[in-house]
Amino acid sequence: MKNRLKVHRAIKDLTQEDLAKLLGVSRQTINSIEKNRYVPSTLLALKLSKVFEVHVNEIFELESGD
Amino acid sequence: MGNFCESETRLLKRWSNFQLPNRFLKIGWAIIIGTFLLMIAKKFVDEPSWVKPLLRNIMILGFLMVSISREKIEDEFVASLRAISYRLAIVIGVLYALVQPYVTYAVELLLDPDSAKVDDGYFQVLLYILLVQILFFNVLKRSYK
Repeated sequence: MKNRLKVHRAIKDLTQEDLAKLLGVSRQTINSIEKNRYVPSTLLALKLSKVFEVHVNEIFELESGD
Repeated sequence: MGNFCESETRLLKRWSNFQLPNRFLKIGWAIIIGTFLLMIAKKFVDEPSWVKPLLRNIMILGFLMVSISREKIEDEFVASLRAISYRLAIVIGVLYALVQPYVTYAVELLLDPDSAKVDDGYFQVLLYILLVQILFFNVLKRSYK
């Protein structure tokens, strides 16, 4: 699964730390999602879509192997 | 019977998330370092036979404290890392405990064949940990049916 978290974060002009604080998670969690090392739960994905004011599908996208 | 099982499962789910507050992380490490230093210090003095096992047990309690203490930010990513680390710990721990007595036996056989014997002292602990894990796994799996 690939994601556009970094792009949406840049649009909102948020650092990883800012976003982590908004979501109540660690900066390491945001960094791991951005680098595709961790797939977030549905709950966290929905919270991200709420912060960025876009649909979840605009942040996360399934790849052919998924 | 059904109600009894349901209440047991509810209790299990509630306790499965049990963690100590973050400050216990430091307390745990302090206990580990403290007991380690005392273990070194006791080599230079005569002490009763119960001191060594007591220090070992306190050290294990310190490690348990570190293991179940919350991180400063305990989120789902940390929870997933914790689950992976417990899984690895069980598998590696069991394999180590199975192999280690035979390595010790082989070394003893070379150095002093008369007193060499295989120590199976870990059997009870290994069996208990694995049985409890399998039991809890099946109880939790059934509870989500």
